[in-house]
Amino acid sequence: MSLAIITLYLILLILLGVFSGRILRLTGGDYFLASRGIGSFMLLMTLFGTTMTAFAMIGSTGETFERGIGVYGLMASWSGIVHSAIFFLIGARIWAFGKKYDYVTQISFFRDRYQSDALALLLFPIMVGLVLIYMLTGVIGAGRILESTTAETWSLRGRMTAVALASRPADLQIPDAWKDRLRHDTEVGQLVLDGSIAPKRKPVLLKFSASPEWKKAVEELFQKAPAGALPYWAGMVLTCVVVLFYIFCGGLRAAAWANTLQNIISVGVGLIAFLVITHAMGGPAKATELLAQSPASNRMAREGLISRTEFLTYFFIPLSVAMFPHLFQHWLTARRASSFKLTVAAFPVCILLTWLPCVLIGMWAAGVLPHGTPSNAVLGIMISRYSGEFLTGLIGAGVLAAIMSGLDAQFLCVGSLFTHDIVQRYVAHRRLGEREQVFLGRVFVVIVVLISVLIGWLNPKSVFDLGVWCFTGFAALSPLAFAAVYWKRSNWQGALACVLTAAALWLYFLRQALDTSGAEAFLLAGGVMPVTLILAASTAALVIVSLLTPPPDPALVARFFPPKNAA
Amino acid sequence: MKWIVALLVVLLIVLHQDFWWWDDRRIVLSFLPIGLAWHAGISVAASVVWWLAVKTWWPAFLDQEADPACPPPQKAPSDKNSGGETT
Repeated sequence: MSLAIITLYLILLILLGVFSGRILRLTGGDYFLASRGIGSFMLLMTLFGTTMTAFAMIGSTGETFERGIGVYGLMASWSGIVHSAIFFLIGARIWAFGKKYDYVTQISFFRDRYQSDALALLLFPIMVGLVLIYMLTGVIGAGRILESTTAETWSLRGRMTAVALASRPADLQIPDAWKDRLRHDTEVGQLVLDGSIAPKRKPVLLKFSASPEWKKAVEELFQKAPAGALPYWAGMVLTCVVVLFYIFCGGLRAAAWANTLQNIISVGVGLIAFLVITHAMGGPAKATELLAQSPASNRMAREGLISRTEFLTYFFIPLSVAMFPHLFQHWLTARRASSFKLTVAAFPVCILLTWLPCVLIGMWAAGVLPHGTPSNAVLGIMISRYSGEFLTGLIGAGVLAAIMSGLDAQFLCVGSLFTHDIVQRYVAHRRLGEREQVFLGRVFVVIVVLISVLIGWLNPKSVFDLGVWCFTGFAALSPLAFAAVYWKRSNWQGALACVLTAAALWLYFLRQALDTSGAEAFLLAGGVMPVTLILAASTAALVIVSLLTPPPDPALVARFFPPKNAA
Repeated sequence: MKWIVALLVVLLIVLHQDFWWWDDRRIVLSFLPIGLAWHAGISVAASVVWWLAVKTWWPAFLDQEADPACPPPQKAPSDKNSGGETT
């Protein structure tokens, strides 16, 4: 049932891709920039959908489960302040440059602004690498959510799972409904289950007997028995194929439509999920009371879970939106600069609507789920545990909608970076038609997506931690965006120094984190986030090198900073 | 007014560091830990502050700078029209 609802939703997205492809003008401008015709509401929806990904839904729930309510302050309320500032100070101005000089990608803007091919060639692998990590959070999240919301899709009857249970507990009472699936084989001393079983059935089975031997056998049974769910790898592949399909059919216009649809669905369904889970837990007051009485009650505050310096220095993480290449491309789709107004004002409340229910579910989960539950699985487990199959499918589709609304922009952006900044510029300038260039971009996207699926399959990490490292990299590059828009004296040498410093320090700290704690939150002395140091160093490199080298050509400065009376 | 908006942004950043609720597990509205309620309030306040910024500080010249065919920016009363654009 759950899988059927999710499949229906995926078919709807495929149809949307076909439909937008039919009315698409099939020019590069429409495929990559939706003909720069996106108005206020759709711009808000696309920018919101692009930034609220698996990180916001699955990452926030899992991280709150482990570190408590402070996670909202770390990311959501900081982002409400900083994201809007970036859209206000950078986004609208970048849109104006893009419209004036016909930019399609972020790298083409920086190449032109600093007149440097070296800078563009250095930025390309860094941007693709960071977007790949961002993609990975979505791909892993999609695999996990499909796996945890589709349990018992396949009954797998005839497949037996046996665990040791020497003697039948005296008080064991297996209800009639379970007798054809669950039995105790007295001769060999085993508890035997026929077919698949969803993790949410565990509390039901535990009630059949109060003996400790029974509890131990049930725990073991759930570890060994198949869940009958869509496999993790298949969920990742299915999601990527659907997103690739509607992107390939309709480009950024399809992504904008899909994001609008997906945001409405994910916010609506998120609200339903929140209400259903809350109701099933006995109401919000009861759910909070359960947590307050549990050993995990410290999740209701921050002491011992998050340090004050970490809380403060998380401020720098949302600066990453200034350098997201996929967001940059969405900025360029706006019909006019004033289209940004609604986004600037409404963004913090949109973040609140997505994050608050997820943080509350993660907080309540700490009171009912066992310590050590994998953080990426917390949301899926809570959904399937507290809702029926129909709602599980509906909620699963809603979470998937949020994840896919981020993935589509990332896929399209990687393709356009390759097409515009490598193929058109260095490989096939004036030799390939627009269709051939788009085709090459698609091939590149498929390769990058395959790499991310492969990494997600072989080495799944915490979605939250992956996201934070990815944002650290982008945030460390943000001085480049501010200087390009506001600092006339910045030059290509300074820009190059900024990027090199950010990349080198990011790699250094990531390596240290991998060595010490498996890419999990890694803090400097005093609880300072590494982004603080990397950002300070990249800013210093930009300023010092720019001032020590010759100023940019006055004609170049005049292009980007026209005198007020000439504007 | 611009300076008031700038001060409000700084105030938001300061209020975000709510060390006074750091280890406070009090519940408001019968289910919401006070630290979380405070930060939800920060999000709402951020929307109000950025709405004020858009109303008072918006670089209205950008549309014309990007496309000279665009009509020049007008004074405050007509600015309401550009803000009301829909798809």
